[in-house]
Amino acid sequence: MSQIHLFAVSAQQAQWLSMRQTAISGNIANANTPGYKPVDVEPFERILDNTGLGLETSAASHLHGAGGPRQTARKGEGSWQVSPSGNAVSLEQELIKADEVNRAYALNTGIVKAFHRMLMMSVK
Amino acid sequence: MVDPLQASLRIAASGLEAQSTRLRVVAENLANAQSTGPTPGSDPYTRKTVTFANALDRASETNLVKVDDIGLDRSPFRVEYQPGHPAADEKGYVKLPNIDMAVEMADMREANRSYEANLQIIKRTRELLSMTIDLLRNPG
Repeated sequence: MSQIHLFAVSAQQAQWLSMRQTAISGNIANANTPGYKPVDVEPFERILDNTGLGLETSAASHLHGAGGPRQTARKGEGSWQVSPSGNAVSLEQELIKADEVNRAYALNTGIVKAFHRMLMMSVK
Repeated sequence: MVDPLQASLRIAASGLEAQSTRLRVVAENLANAQSTGPTPGSDPYTRKTVTFANALDRASETNLVKVDDIGLDRSPFRVEYQPGHPAADEKGYVKLPNIDMAVEMADMREANRSYEANLQIIKRTRELLSMTIDLLRNPG
């Protein structure tokens, strides 16, 4: 747990957003694979709810708790189109999602920057 | 576990590779649209098809895409009556490749579109990375 909660949350969201970007690029790369169903990561609210319940580890051999968001949580829900080959990836939908990720990431880094500036102002 | 943004770049690169293989095959088909067999009555060039498959990369736990198989199209050949052609059989018919220009053009367009989508993802991922690096920049 970091001393300043905001940085911890923003780091967590940045991690979640990059996982989502990975899921989206997997979907787009497989846009012509027969039978492929698009995947997504579980929503960020659920990640936030799960925090604080991880397993504590004191040795390398210990089990790690559920660290980070799980990918492939939602299988092809609400896809726009299914092609005759059974592929359910819609390029438009995936690009919109990629744009959403981009916007959220910009907001995230913007907040971190502003908060950091604020801290520096009080330190100087 | 590798960095998700690095993984994202790698996945998009695998998509680019798969789509460019597809474009290569389209080019082969188009170039050989009139290639007949060498001897009278022999089979001409057969149209090639590409199939993709989802491949899980165990090392980085990412789902890449790879070219599963470059197969042959089993549809019948076109037949034309050209008695003077060197590949004509005894009745004067020549077997021509089973290639339809419109189908190849459509395939090429789709490969192009998917290639562009993968390129877009690389661009977006680069933007995410540079936004992160920008955090280190001195605000002045």
